[in-house]
Amino acid sequence: MKELPFMNLSPVYIEISQGWLKALRETDGLDVPLERSANGQLTAACKETLALSLHKFLGRKGWQPRARALCAIGANGVSLRRMALPPASRDEFSKLVRLQVETEFPLSPDELSWGYRKLDALPANGAPSRQELLVAAVKKDRVEEYAGVLFAAGLNPVFTPAAMARAYLCPHPLGSCAFVDVGQTQLEFVGFENGIPVALRVFPWGTEKRLDSLAKAIGGKTGKVYITGSNGAPGEIIAELRSKFGIVCEQLDAASGAGQSAAVLGLRKASEENNGPALLLFQAAAKPASIGSFKFSQPVPKKWAVRVAALLAVLLILPYAEALLLKGHLSKKLAALKSGQGKMSAIDQEYDFLRYLKLNGPPYLDALYLFAKAAPPGARFESTSMNRRGDISLRGSMQNAQQVTDFRAKLIDSGFFDRVTVEEQVPTPDRQKVNVRITAQWKPVEKRAGLAIGPTRDEIEKAKTNTVGQGNSPARGGMPPGMPAGMPPGAVMISR
Amino acid sequence: MRTLTDHEKRTVRRATIGIAIYLVLFAGFQMWKFMHKQRVEYLQLVADATQLRLKVQAYQSRAESLKRMMEEYHLDPAKLSRETIVGEASSAIQKAASASGIQVGTVRESASRGSADEIATMQFEGSGPVPAVTGLLNRMQTLGYPLVIDSVQIAPDTRPGMMKLSLTIVILNFEKWKTPEATHA
Repeated sequence: MKELPFMNLSPVYIEISQGWLKALRETDGLDVPLERSANGQLTAACKETLALSLHKFLGRKGWQPRARALCAIGANGVSLRRMALPPASRDEFSKLVRLQVETEFPLSPDELSWGYRKLDALPANGAPSRQELLVAAVKKDRVEEYAGVLFAAGLNPVFTPAAMARAYLCPHPLGSCAFVDVGQTQLEFVGFENGIPVALRVFPWGTEKRLDSLAKAIGGKTGKVYITGSNGAPGEIIAELRSKFGIVCEQLDAASGAGQSAAVLGLRKASEENNGPALLLFQAAAKPASIGSFKFSQPVPKKWAVRVAALLAVLLILPYAEALLLKGHLSKKLAALKSGQGKMSAIDQEYDFLRYLKLNGPPYLDALYLFAKAAPPGARFESTSMNRRGDISLRGSMQNAQQVTDFRAKLIDSGFFDRVTVEEQVPTPDRQKVNVRITAQWKPVEKRAGLAIGPTRDEIEKAKTNTVGQGNSPARGGMPPGMPAGMPPGAVMISR
Repeated sequence: MRTLTDHEKRTVRRATIGIAIYLVLFAGFQMWKFMHKQRVEYLQLVADATQLRLKVQAYQSRAESLKRMMEEYHLDPAKLSRETIVGEASSAIQKAASASGIQVGTVRESASRGSADEIATMQFEGSGPVPAVTGLLNRMQTLGYPLVIDSVQIAPDTRPGMMKLSLTIVILNFEKWKTPEATHA
C-alpha cells in the first residue's frame, strides 16, 4: 500500500560505532552509549535501553508507518572487494554476484550481509565487456542484531559502511583521497582511487606505533587526507602526520551537536542532495524474529484493544454478575422488610382508631361556650341536654321575646349549628319574663372544621382579671385551670 | 489398528471442531438463558424493594401523626386490656370527677349489646359547680381510655350553686373496632 505523505515520518540518520549510537532526525539528535559483551555483541540491557530511547525519540504513533533509517556501521569486520562479472540478465546477474561473493569471501553468502555497487569502468580496447562491482560484506549476525533493535524501536533500517558515508561530506567526484575517522579507541581508514574505495582498515588508537601503520596505509600515492572525529584528537593527528610523515591532512568540519557525526551528516547529504554515487547498502532484512523479547515491542494499539475488549466484557457481564451476587442479599432484606409489614398494619389500626376517637369526640364544651356567649343579660338556663349525634335541648328563661330572638340569631350566626328551633316561648304570669324551650342541632364535623370557636386572647385575659377581682372563686365566673374555653360573663346556670 | 489417512484425519479434525463449536454455542446459550433469568428475577426484586421503600416512607408520616395523637390523648391502644378496661376507666372517671370538684353519685355499667364497636356503656351521675362540670367534660378525653360521651344532661341541683350532671359514656372496643360511617358526631 502506498503511504500517504502526511503519514510518513522523516528519515532518520544513524551511526553505530563501538561505543555509541548517534541518531539525527531533522534537527533533533540522540546520543546513546552502547554496552557490549566480551564477544562484541550488545548486551540485552543495552538493547532494551537503546530500543526504548529510540522509540521515545521517534515519538511514532501507532497508526504511522515505520520511519526509514539510514544506518552507518563501523568498519570493524567490514570487507571490501572489487569484482568483474560478465554481462548477464538481471536474474542471472544476482546469482553471479552471489557465486562471486562465495568465492571471494571466507564465509558463505548466507552467513554474510553483503551489498554491491556497480562501477562505471570503461572496458579496455578489445577486451570483452565486463561489469565491475564494489562489494562490501560483514557478518550477518552483526547487522541483524542492529536491525532487530532498530525494528523494535519502530524503524525500517538499511545499513551502509560508515567510512563510505563520511566521503559524501566532500564534493564529488572524489578522485584519489583518504578519510581517517578518529574514534575513542580506534581509527577508521578508507582509501579512494578515482572515487572508488579500495581499502578499508581499522587501527587501534592511542600509540605512536599505530600511527605508523596508518601512515603506511595512507602511503605516497594517496592525494588529500581528510580527518574527521569529534573528540578533539583530529588536530593532534593532523599535526603529527604532517611533522613526522610529511602527510598533508585536512580536517572536515562536522557539527558536534546531539546525534551528529561525520557519517550521520554524510548520510543526510547523500540522501538529500543526491550527488555522487548511490550508497552501498547491505542486503539485510530486519526480521521481527530477531527483535528479541522487549517489553515495549507489544504494539501499543493491540494493548489498548485488549483493554477496551476487557472493559466491554466487564460492562456486558456486570449486570448479570450483579444479579447473581446481590440477589440473595436483596431477597433476605426484602423478606425482613415484608415481615415488618405486620407492624405497618398495627400502625394503620391504631392510627385509624385514634383518628376515629378524635373525630367522634362530641363538642359539648364548644356548644356550652356558644350558649354562654350568646346569652343575653338576665337569661337563666334551667337544664341542658346534649348527645353525640348533635341533638341539643335547652330550657330556661329570658327577659323578653326580643332577647330570645337575639339569642337564636347569635347561635345561628356562630356557624356552629345547623338549626336552632324555639319550640316553646311562654310569658310568665307576671309578664316579667318569658320561659323558653329551644332545640338545636350542631353541624357535622367536616362543616365545623373551619370554625374558630373559643375565647379570644382578650377574653381570656379579661376572665383572668375577673377571677382575681372576685376573690379567685371559680364558682363565680372564671374557668378552672385546664379548661379550653372561659365562660363569658352574663351566662348563669340556675341552681336551686 | 489401521493408520488413518490424511483425508480421514482431516475429516476427524473438522468433525471435532464442529462438535466443539456446537457444544460451546449450546452451553453458551444455556448459560446466557440462566443468567438472563437470574437478572429478570433480580430486577423484579429491585422493583419490589423500591415499591416497599416508598410504602415505608409513606408510613413514616403516618407514624408521626399517630405519635402526636397518642400524646394528645395520653392513650396507647397497644397497652389496653379488654378484660380490665371497664374497671380501670370507671375508676379513672370517678377520680377525675372528684379531682374536678364533683360529688360522685350513681354509677351504672352495662355491657354493650349489639354493637361490636363498644365494650360497655356507663351512666354517671354527680353534682358540682359549673366549673367542675366543664372541667370534667374537658378531662374526659385525656384520661387514657377510649371514652366517648354519648350524652350530657345538666340540670339544677337542690343545693345552691350546684349543678346536677348526668353522663352516658361509651367505652370503645379498640380490638374489634372498624371504621364507622360518618356520623353527626
